Order: sequence, then C-alpha cells, then structure tokens
Amino acid sequence: MRKAIFVIIISGLVIGAIGRPAFAEDNMSKAEKRELFRKGAKLWPIYCAQCHNPRPPGEKAPYEWDQVIMHMRQISNMPAANARAILIYLKSR
Amino acid sequence: MEEGLDMRARRLSGTLLMMLGIALIFGPMAARAADSDGGDAATMKEVLRELKELRAERKHDRQLIKTLETKVDQLESRDSKNTGAAIQLENTNRQLQATNLELQQTASQVKTLQAKLDEPVNAEDFSEAFGKYLGSHSFTVTGSAGGQFVYDQQSGAIDGIHHGTQNSFFFDWEPMILYRPADWILFEGVLGAGFGSTGTGVDLSTAEFQLFPNDYLTIVGGLFDNPFGDWFETQSPMWVNRFVTAPLPFGVESVVPPGDIGVQARGGFEWGAEGQDFDYTAWIGNGPEFSSNVLGAALGGPVAVANAESNGKAFGTRLRIYPIPVDKDWGRLEVGASTYDGKWNGGNYFTSWGVDFNYLYGNFQTRGEWVSSYREMPSGLPQDNRQGWYLQLGYMMSDVRVPGISDELNKYFQRLQPLIRYSGVNQHFVSLDDITGSTGIGMGGFQAGLVPDFGLSGSPALYAPHSREVALALDYWFAPSIVWQNEVDFELPRAGGTLVAADGSTTPAGSVPNDHAFLTQFTVGF
Repeated sequence: MRKAIFVIIISGLVIGAIGRPAFAEDNMSKAEKRELFRKGAKLWPIYCAQCHNPRPPGEKAPYEWDQVIMHMRQISNMPAANARAILIYLKSR
Repeated sequence: MEEGLDMRARRLSGTLLMMLGIALIFGPMAARAADSDGGDAATMKEVLRELKELRAERKHDRQLIKTLETKVDQLESRDSKNTGAAIQLENTNRQLQATNLELQQTASQVKTLQAKLDEPVNAEDFSEAFGKYLGSHSFTVTGSAGGQFVYDQQSGAIDGIHHGTQNSFFFDWEPMILYRPADWILFEGVLGAGFGSTGTGVDLSTAEFQLFPNDYLTIVGGLFDNPFGDWFETQSPMWVNRFVTAPLPFGVESVVPPGDIGVQARGGFEWGAEGQDFDYTAWIGNGPEFSSNVLGAALGGPVAVANAESNGKAFGTRLRIYPIPVDKDWGRLEVGASTYDGKWNGGNYFTSWGVDFNYLYGNFQTRGEWVSSYREMPSGLPQDNRQGWYLQLGYMMSDVRVPGISDELNKYFQRLQPLIRYSGVNQHFVSLDDITGSTGIGMGGFQAGLVPDFGLSGSPALYAPHSREVALALDYWFAPSIVWQNEVDFELPRAGGTLVAADGSTTPAGSVPNDHAFLTQFTVGF
C-alpha cells in the first residue's frame, strides 16, 4: 500500500513538472486568440454534445465560463488545448 | 504739432536776437543822428517801444514754449505708457492663442472619446475590464432544479401486495458551487436538496478541489462521483440524463459504488488528428461500503464511503479513447474501460470492471455500459457477484419535417426527442433490510427518511432479483438545458432469486412482476 501511494505521488510530481499552467491566457497574442476562436467554434458542439446539449455562449458571463470550462475539462478529461479553444469561443459571445 | 511749436519759438527767438543786434549797432548811430537830427528821436522811441513789445512777446513765447515742453513731456510719457500697454496686449494675445490651441486639442480629444462611446462596446475589452472589477477570486453557481410527478405500480416482495400503486409530486434542487481562486485551482461542491411526500432531505454529493498543474494532469481531492464508466460522473445530473430514472445498474442497486472520498490523477491528450483523444483517470479512495454483511446488500453512497475508514483502500482506473478525427465527419465515438478494486468489511475483497461506449452522429445518439462486480463474503458464504448493463438510443427531431402540418406546428415537433433504453441487473440476492429501509418509492416496504433522488428512484424494477426494464421516453426541449421529460417504464418478467433477511435467513422470490411506472419531470440546468 505504501509503495503504491509513493508511486502515485512521485508519478504525479513528475507529470506535474512538465508543461505550463493550464489556463494561462495572459501571454496570448491576438493572432493566437483568433486561431483558438476558430478552433473553439468548431470543437464546441462536438465536445459538449458528448454528454449534453451544447450551451450557447451568451448563457453565462465570461468570468463564469472560466470556471465552468475548468470544471468541464476536469470531468471530461478533454485535451487542455481544446478546452482553451472552447473557452475563448464561449467568452467571445 | 509739437514740432511746429518748436519751430515757431525758434523763429521768434531769432527775430528778437536780430532786432537786438540792429538796435545795438544802429542805436549809437541814431543818438548821434538825434543830436544831429531831432526827428530821429521819435523813431528811436518807436524802436524802443517795439523792443519792449518784442520783449513782452518773447516772455510770452518763452512761457508758451515752457507750456508746450511740459505738454510734450506729458505726451511722451503717455506714449511710453501706451507702448507698455501694447506689449501687454501682445502678450495677452499670445496667451489667448495658446489657450485656443489647447481648447482645439481638448475638443479633438472629446470628439475622439465621443466617437469611441458611440462605437459598439468591444466584448473582449469589456470582459477584461469586468473581470478585473470582479477580482481574481470568483464564484459561479450552476447545477439543476426540477419538479417531478411519479405514478408507480409496484408489487411488494414480501407482503403479498400485487401491482400496488402510489403517486406523488417531488421537487429537487441540486446547486453546484464553483469557486476559482486562480487559473490553476478550482473548488467544486454539489448539494442535493429534495422535497416530497416523505419530507425534505439535503445531501452533499461532491466536494472537491481540482488542481491544474499543466496540460496533461489534473489532481482532484475530496468527495467525488465515482469516475467508473460514464454514468455517475457525467450522466447523472437531471437535465443531462435523457430519462427521468437511472438505468438499473446505476440506481438503488448499483453494481459499483456511486462515489468515493480520496484523490484522483487524470488528464487527456490528442494522440492523432484533431479529435483523436485519449484520456486516463486513476484514483485511490476509502473503498466500497455495503448496507450490511448479508448477500445482496446494497452499496452505500458517499456518506457510507466516507465512514468506511477501517476498510482497505480502493484503486480505480479508467481509460477512454476517441478514435474518429473531427474532420472525418463520421460522428464522435468514445470507447472506455474501467476497473475498481478494494476491500470491504476490513479485509474482504471487492473487484469490478466495466466497458462503455458513446456514439453521436448528427441527431442520433446511443450509449451503453456493461459492469461486473465480485464481492467476497465473510463466514464462508458464496460470492455476491453482480452484473449490470444498459443500452439507450435517441434521436433529436430537429431536422425532421412532418408533411401536411404547418411550419408553426413543425417547430414544436422539431423540439421532440424520443428515446428507448433497455437495462438490467443480474443480482440473485436482495437484502430485505434494503427494501424496508428504502429511501426510494418501494412498495415492498415503506418510504423512510429522505426524498428519493430524481433519476435514481421511481423505476418499478427496484430491489428485485434479476431485474429487467424497458424505458420509453419523449423529451421536449424548450432550450438546450430546459426540458420536459416523460417516461414510461415496463418491468419485464425474468428469473427470480432469493430475499435475504438481516439474520441471513433466505426466502425464495418468484420472477419479477410485470409492473409499470409513468414519470414526468420538468427540469432546468443552470
């Protein structure tokens, strides 16, 4: 049991050390945001409809989408880049 | 004028000097002449008189000159003052010009600002500004609420009631609170509050921290829905589930625990083209807990799991793959497999595994799961094995147009979604304590305690061995998350089983009676 917990913790730390923070938008250029918007508009109906009807962007305020998409990324395990693209699309309203 | 006066004064002075000279030169000569000539005396007098007059005139002229000089001085002084005033005026003029320039610039700036105000507000800018105004810590309340009416026909397992009926209204509210202190951390808590004929109940179904250290990993810690398969995590919210009830393997006689308390590591990534994803979830938790030690006892919910501290810890894994690229236009397919193994009762093992799929193509959607569990029993009792499954299909009518009816009626028709689901559980033993202590609408015993959770109760095929059920549903979608759901359930006769009392004594049970239920629910996802 202790070995298993140790392996899980070490694995988590190793994986956690790779990459960058998941939802950092501040350093994005306008061109990058435009590209993500296009991607998000394409992926939004596909990823959302896996479980439920896609919710229109205007249903929630942009700051609410920040939280809802974090929750959705966690529960669906969707790739972070695709979650970012969908978030940009939903926040653009 | 001043120059004229000056010249005149000079001329007079010159004349006087000339006459004085003449008098000095010719005076002695005149005196000698008087001597010589008495007539010249009169002339001399005349000259003297003229001289006197000239002197008086000169005096007058001098005074006049003095007066004029004074006036000239005054005029010069006045002229100097005028020059100063002119310089002042010039300076003032320059200042006025500078002020005017500033005013023009200000007017231009005001015009620019006015033009900006008249322009439509840039959503991105507004969002950024509003976000800053709200601060970096923010709350969001989401979740669902619904009202339900249930007509249920159910036969009692032990008291001889056959096709007994009951009906009731219920209301359920399940707010989910999301709290985001930073872009790498989120807290999520879900409360379930219900009201019905048996009273009011409140339950905490999830409460967890979610950490996002990078693109490939999410760490979750707390009380969570079991990530085994798809049902508990993603399909159980009222407005997400296309039916009012849950499929049998995820209802009151769940084959795997509905929740756990512990830690998860999870994430996903694209392994091929866009949309070809793979995701993983691994977790460790307190493990399963059953309502009692008898055969057929129901698995406990999150509260029971939280109390299962003495048990060995459980480990779960779920892997899912999405093989179809988005650009292929072949629909979206998900295939997954899960395991969950642990110990209960302080040492007896519990193992389970399952497979699931979900396929969406246009308006057509189908999903299904197969789950199997093995429970080691104490005191040499046989294994308490269970299997469960469901398969559901649905079609959204949004592209269907019925000929012969008006466009207006077609609009209503296109909001409909008919569905069918077949589900079953192979469970030979059923605990009598679970029936009598049921919190659902079970006619086999009495309703006690909390109001049943919508979507998890109300089905006629509850607490029955080898239960089978066909559910037909017709949903009417007012909006993507507002739906009126109608469901009719048919319990299908199947093999019987064994009812087990708390002391372990058993009673044979016949085949499942052919009971029915009708459920209608209006629910909103917010």
